[in-house]
Amino acid sequence: MAGRDPHPSLLALTSSALLLPAYQQANADAPPEFTTLGMSYSRYQEDDTQAGRTLGGDSIERYEIDVAQFYLLTPVSDDWSVALDVQWEDMSGASPWFVGLDADGGSKVFMSGASIEDTRTTVSVNTRYYFDRGNAGFTYTRSDEDDYESDAVAFDGAYNSADGLTTWSAAVSASFDDIEPTQGVTPTNTLEDSKDVFGGYLGVSRIISKRAILRFGLSYTYRNGFLTDPYKLQDSRPSTRKEWAVSSGYRHFFTGPNAALHVDYRYFDDDWGIASHTVDLAWWQNLGRKTQLVPFLRYYTQDEADFFSNTPDFSERYFADDFRLSAFGGITTGLRVRHTVGNWTLNATGERYTTSEDFGIYSGDESPALVKYWRYSIGFNYSFR
Amino acid sequence: MRRLLGRLLIALALVTLAGCASEPVQPWERGTLAKNEMQWAPDPLEAVLRDHIHFSKEASTGGGGAAGGGCGCN
Repeated sequence: MAGRDPHPSLLALTSSALLLPAYQQANADAPPEFTTLGMSYSRYQEDDTQAGRTLGGDSIERYEIDVAQFYLLTPVSDDWSVALDVQWEDMSGASPWFVGLDADGGSKVFMSGASIEDTRTTVSVNTRYYFDRGNAGFTYTRSDEDDYESDAVAFDGAYNSADGLTTWSAAVSASFDDIEPTQGVTPTNTLEDSKDVFGGYLGVSRIISKRAILRFGLSYTYRNGFLTDPYKLQDSRPSTRKEWAVSSGYRHFFTGPNAALHVDYRYFDDDWGIASHTVDLAWWQNLGRKTQLVPFLRYYTQDEADFFSNTPDFSERYFADDFRLSAFGGITTGLRVRHTVGNWTLNATGERYTTSEDFGIYSGDESPALVKYWRYSIGFNYSFR
Repeated sequence: MRRLLGRLLIALALVTLAGCASEPVQPWERGTLAKNEMQWAPDPLEAVLRDHIHFSKEASTGGGGAAGGGCGCN
């Protein structure tokens, strides 16, 4: 399509990372009592690429994305529910195309020249059956973009112990994706290709006191097909990828301050040489009966892929200069406010994400294309009580 | 070394969970646990969006449920 030149980062933000619908709680064991709907609008804005980090020395605008979300969850009988999730995204901006050396031998990023424009629509439908000691669900998700289509299915279930203190959960998922890169000014690494993704998850959660609950999970993901970034100039990746993730979570309610502490941790490892640690902290402070103030903090650090380099060796079978495969650390700080009025709950969020090779615990070449962004969201939920 | 660390973390998590000295919390004592702010994802749309963005800008995913791909983000 003339004038359109989607790049990998565009594809990146158009992914459906989670197949589970938004409304599914990890410890859900009863059908909803009434219909609930929610809507949200978000604005995502990446910082401009710094002039000193680009070939040519110009400061260049990166992505800005508008996101609208909608969900509806409704009971259809005493033991069934149906849910619908829809997400629209409209994005524009420039994306890193490749990394090269300047006259002084420093690594600089070359951005895509024309502004990229694309939209994405994702629709997810879920049905869930509830029985005495658990539930089982099926989800179908369809995602459409100009150059990418995905069909995914997932089955999941949860089962409670007789005393209700422990919940075991499991899930399997499969995604079948087709990519047909938009042909524009820059060449692409394929004209048409596909990939499949299969995932599995096992988890257990346990009530450990009247005010605390703990969970643990293990997931495995297998990707097979065209995993190379179709739009990056210097990119050739293996056609399979095996990923493991170990996660844990903890919730504790403090009666004195009338607040809940959230602690989540994930360790990730794959056969591309990437490992990462993620820590999420949040403090849900109740202010009276209707308002909540939620400051949150996230720390992320990852190792680089075996084949990542700012100066790729093209004699090797695999190579990439994608910043997302580099070693770096990321810090997110944010604040969320929720206010309930009758059956309405209004919310607003602002967060800042910053990255640096210096923030990470792993060493490696620092990519000149690391991203920083602001994100703002407003939304509401309504319950038909 | 990394794989060793991963296995160590798995073992640690399992031992931690298995060894939790749980109180015998009766069903009628779980009101606090049922509060919205005690859920794993109290704001589902917010959680989905954050995961979506992180998945797009970082190299890691999974660990939180039935994650399954369905994307072209390499």
